[in-house]
Amino acid sequence: MLPGVKQQMNANSIIKLTGITKRFSGVVANDDIDFDLHRGEIHSILGENGAGKTTLMNILAGVYQPDNGSICVHDQPVQIRSPQDSLRLGIGVVYQHFTLVPNLTVMENLILGFEDGLFLKVKKARQKLQEICETYGLFIDPDREIRDLSVSERQRTEILKILFHESDVLILDEPTSVLSPAETESLFQTLMYLRNGGKAVVLITHNLSEALAVSDRISIMRSGKKAAELSKETLTALGTETGSDKILELMFGAVPLPDRGIVEKVSGDQPVLELNQVDVMDSRGRICLRRISFSVGQGEIFGIAGVDGESRRLLAEIIGGQQRITSGKLIYRGRDITRTDIAQRFELGISYITDDRINEACVPDMDLAENAILQSYGRQPFSHWGILKWLSVRSFTEDLIKRFGIRAAGPDARVRTLSGGNIQKFILARGLSGSPGLIVCNSPTYGLDAKTVAFIQDLLVNESRKGTAVLLLTSDIDELFSCSSRIGVLFNGEIVGSMDRGDASTEKVAKLMLGICE
Amino acid sequence: MNKVALADLKPAVLSIFSILCSLITGGIILLVIGKNPVVYFSLLFAQGIGTSLGVIESIIKMTPLLIIAAGLLPCFAAGLWNIGAEGQFLIGAMLAGWAAPLLSATLPYPVYLVAVSLLGAAGGMAWILLPAILKARYDINEIITTLMMSWVAISLVTWLVKGPINDLSTVPAQTMIPFTRIHIGFIIGIVTLLSMHWVIRRTTLGYQFRVMLANKKAARHAGMNIPRLTVYGLLISGGLAGLAGVSDVLAIKGLFQSNWNPQYAMAAIPLVFLARLNGWAVIPLAFLFSFLAVGGEFVARELGVPVFFVHVLEGLTLLFFAASQYFEKKWGSK
Amino acid sequence: MNSLFESALITAVIASTIRGTTPILLAALGDTYVERSGLLNLGIEGMMVGGAFSGFVVALKLNNLFYGFLTAGAVGLTLGLVFAILTITLRVNQIVVGLGLTIFAQSMSSFLHRVIFGNQFPILFGAGDTSAIPLLSRIPFIGQGLFNQHWLVYMAFLLVPALYVLMYQTRFGLRVRAVGESPWAADASGVNVNRIRYYAILMGGLMASLGGAFLAIGDLAFFVPDMIMGRGYIAIVVVMMGKWNPAKVCFGGLLFGFALALTSALQVAGINISPDFILMMPYLVVIVALLFFARSTNLPSSLCIPYKRGGD
Repeated sequence: MLPGVKQQMNANSIIKLTGITKRFSGVVANDDIDFDLHRGEIHSILGENGAGKTTLMNILAGVYQPDNGSICVHDQPVQIRSPQDSLRLGIGVVYQHFTLVPNLTVMENLILGFEDGLFLKVKKARQKLQEICETYGLFIDPDREIRDLSVSERQRTEILKILFHESDVLILDEPTSVLSPAETESLFQTLMYLRNGGKAVVLITHNLSEALAVSDRISIMRSGKKAAELSKETLTALGTETGSDKILELMFGAVPLPDRGIVEKVSGDQPVLELNQVDVMDSRGRICLRRISFSVGQGEIFGIAGVDGESRRLLAEIIGGQQRITSGKLIYRGRDITRTDIAQRFELGISYITDDRINEACVPDMDLAENAILQSYGRQPFSHWGILKWLSVRSFTEDLIKRFGIRAAGPDARVRTLSGGNIQKFILARGLSGSPGLIVCNSPTYGLDAKTVAFIQDLLVNESRKGTAVLLLTSDIDELFSCSSRIGVLFNGEIVGSMDRGDASTEKVAKLMLGICE
Repeated sequence: MNKVALADLKPAVLSIFSILCSLITGGIILLVIGKNPVVYFSLLFAQGIGTSLGVIESIIKMTPLLIIAAGLLPCFAAGLWNIGAEGQFLIGAMLAGWAAPLLSATLPYPVYLVAVSLLGAAGGMAWILLPAILKARYDINEIITTLMMSWVAISLVTWLVKGPINDLSTVPAQTMIPFTRIHIGFIIGIVTLLSMHWVIRRTTLGYQFRVMLANKKAARHAGMNIPRLTVYGLLISGGLAGLAGVSDVLAIKGLFQSNWNPQYAMAAIPLVFLARLNGWAVIPLAFLFSFLAVGGEFVARELGVPVFFVHVLEGLTLLFFAASQYFEKKWGSK
Repeated sequence: MNSLFESALITAVIASTIRGTTPILLAALGDTYVERSGLLNLGIEGMMVGGAFSGFVVALKLNNLFYGFLTAGAVGLTLGLVFAILTITLRVNQIVVGLGLTIFAQSMSSFLHRVIFGNQFPILFGAGDTSAIPLLSRIPFIGQGLFNQHWLVYMAFLLVPALYVLMYQTRFGLRVRAVGESPWAADASGVNVNRIRYYAILMGGLMASLGGAFLAIGDLAFFVPDMIMGRGYIAIVVVMMGKWNPAKVCFGGLLFGFALALTSALQVAGINISPDFILMMPYLVVIVALLFFARSTNLPSSLCIPYKRGGD
């Protein structure tokens, strides 16, 4: 490369990350990552859940500090120790969970933290806002309260806030996961305006087609490492079809899948679980799940893949009973359970293993024995006429610990002291005991090491062999293919595909997951 | 094995430390007002536990504390704050004072005792019912509602006794141990206290209460019926506070007067916190608070230190206890 | 004769209402900021008692009302500081701390009163003096009631618009509102959450103690142990009802001031109801108010939860 060109590149370089490594209790979230960002470009970071994109972003945002590696902003080495540092360096982040104060207006949110003097200089701020709106083609009513805004409007406000504070870099974390196609279009327009105006944009996403539509560069992350970096020229040269395939390969890898020999579907007469045209509305009246219909039979593992965590969780919760459905029917073993409450569903044999290990599935400050009976405390032999038999509970817990190889000091160990993997093993062990008829689990192996992952997946397969129906919700394609006898895909709140494992291929499923229709 | 024992001791040490701190601070306050703290405390101890009369008085005064504390145990264990025990106590006491003369004449002795007790407990429960429902259905802060009901009770009871219910006829006080005024209420106090202690730890109801406090999200996720549990928890404490009122009237005074408000609840709340919601620990602590009050009364006459001082110690103890929570959190997370 | 009597009655009721409102109003105005910032101050009752007692003692002993108010303010600030250190810096349970402070302040006041004055309940002469505003106090019916009051009364009501402006049009007010609702969002915007809360509780303590002091040396001229009688907690309810808006809080305060004034009013009017019965009124009104207004209340989301960056 000509020396002159190189110099020009450096002048344009806003951020340069070198050798960034970050570990969280044994899991390497970022492994020796290099990443750089130029002025006037949209650089996307593409990867599936758990690839490490969010961690990298949080390092830039000052929420985490890297264990190794260096950060340079405008060619100066810096340390980003807090969100304030990051802001001061001109880096602005738009999170998935917005950092706007709901009861304040747009204007007040923009001013917050950067007020000019004792009294709020609202007029001056309004003028500045007006200018920004006109420059970038973003419009919002400054006097509306945040809680009255739609999600895309809130996102717009977040972007405006960053521009208001004159940041040079915008980082957006999965911005389109909450937008409609039209809103996404509009967002991309905005991003291109920003790019053309000299700003730098980092787009964190798992959506391949969107990344292709708007990026100048795409960095692909997988399992904590940077798998590749593709420039626009490379992508255009490859062409769309081969391009997508190549990227998919980089994202998910061509990994030989363990053969568990579970391909045969056990034929039962009556399905264990049936969902019939189920619609679910969230608290704000938006339809989150639409016309969901599927069934799970005895001894079958039906794996549903979906990248959107919220949708997966909702689907799991409507079966577990924590979430009501707006319309449609739920049938368990021929019995209509649409109106049945959580405790009763548990009694009927539905075991729901949530993805929220620490907050929902257990009480971290209580010990294992107390957690073991969180749902089953009313049953024999754990209690009799309301009186708990702690001896039985403890021997049950000890049994669980032994059978499932949980690394803990004993049934008296507080859950908080266990590692993530062991907590998950415990929760699973608890969920599998009591011979449930249906197991619903959501991202059961998220964030765990390979050995534990294999162990848990074996557990699920064994259960299915015993005749238990298993509904596995996950975003991990490997997991999907290792365990399921049938595969479905959840995208945008709908089931967009359903097939036997034999008919499925990684690419097919990946494309459906990312919204690419054939 | 050693580690477990040490961890158990830490909370007790912190509680004892809080008490010591408050005693020391109290001593400093005494110095400031010109009294000799050493003399004060030694006299207080001497009178409180040095004489048999003092011990007996302390035990008698301890009884309502025990019963109220018994009610607060499951309530606080569920994270529900019944601060209006005073009012529930008074309602129970008033009902006892009203019904006792009527019933003692018409019913056989043991039945009459049970009947009056149930009436008082029912009164306490009725008094906390509204706050319980407001909390269960609308999540309205129960601290405020129980407090307000308490203030209403104070005025209501005064008005009723001065007016419509003007029967101040006495009922013979109940004694149990010969030559003393210790009454069966004491036994009831110990029994209810230890039962509640047992309920919290060994029943499914107590278990649900504890999960509710520790992680409400998990409790809901597991399908526990939080509104119903809320009502149960509050009703239990209301009922027992009312029962404490009954025991005080029946056993000690024999009647109910309009301007009598011994403020047991104000002592019971710090008590239960200090005892870490452990029924066994409540007993010595209740005795401690009690003999401080008894000794304090005596010393008040002797040394001119007002009896309110004991309440000052109670307040200080609660504050030091709160501060000690910081250390417990720090050490606990290690 | 009748009309004279009625006008006197109306004036008395108005005057009494305004006087009765003032302690609650002062405490509530301060508590508005405290609650808005996400703190639940159950020690407010104790702060009022502390202010009442310390104000009374100093005013009596030094024969100077102003010093009394000054001392009361200092006591309020101190109690507020204790609350702040325990709940914000040490992040201890706010309910326990609040109750502890109240029990301590109440019993300390009763104790010291007994120590200093024995069994007597001295009266402070010269307390309760009012200043009439020249022209306005001549207005028939309402003039004497509204414009012939203690200076602290005027100040309290003038504070309403001042604190309204502070809440909605200044930097401090904006930050308080942000901190109470989303401390993490405020933190992300560079606001020092804990410092804002410190300011809020100091303000709350100061105003509560002034409210208590007014009751002792601006209105009643003496101190008895139970004189605050739950006004601190009523203030908390008033704040919730008024949804942390100083103007609405003022109306809520007036409602209770009126309820409290009913006692004397009804007696003056010759209606023969026992004062004890009437004493129940304010508290019943609180419960009814909670039922109607607090059902759909959106409490500040961070109420009672100590803040730590990165979560607990």
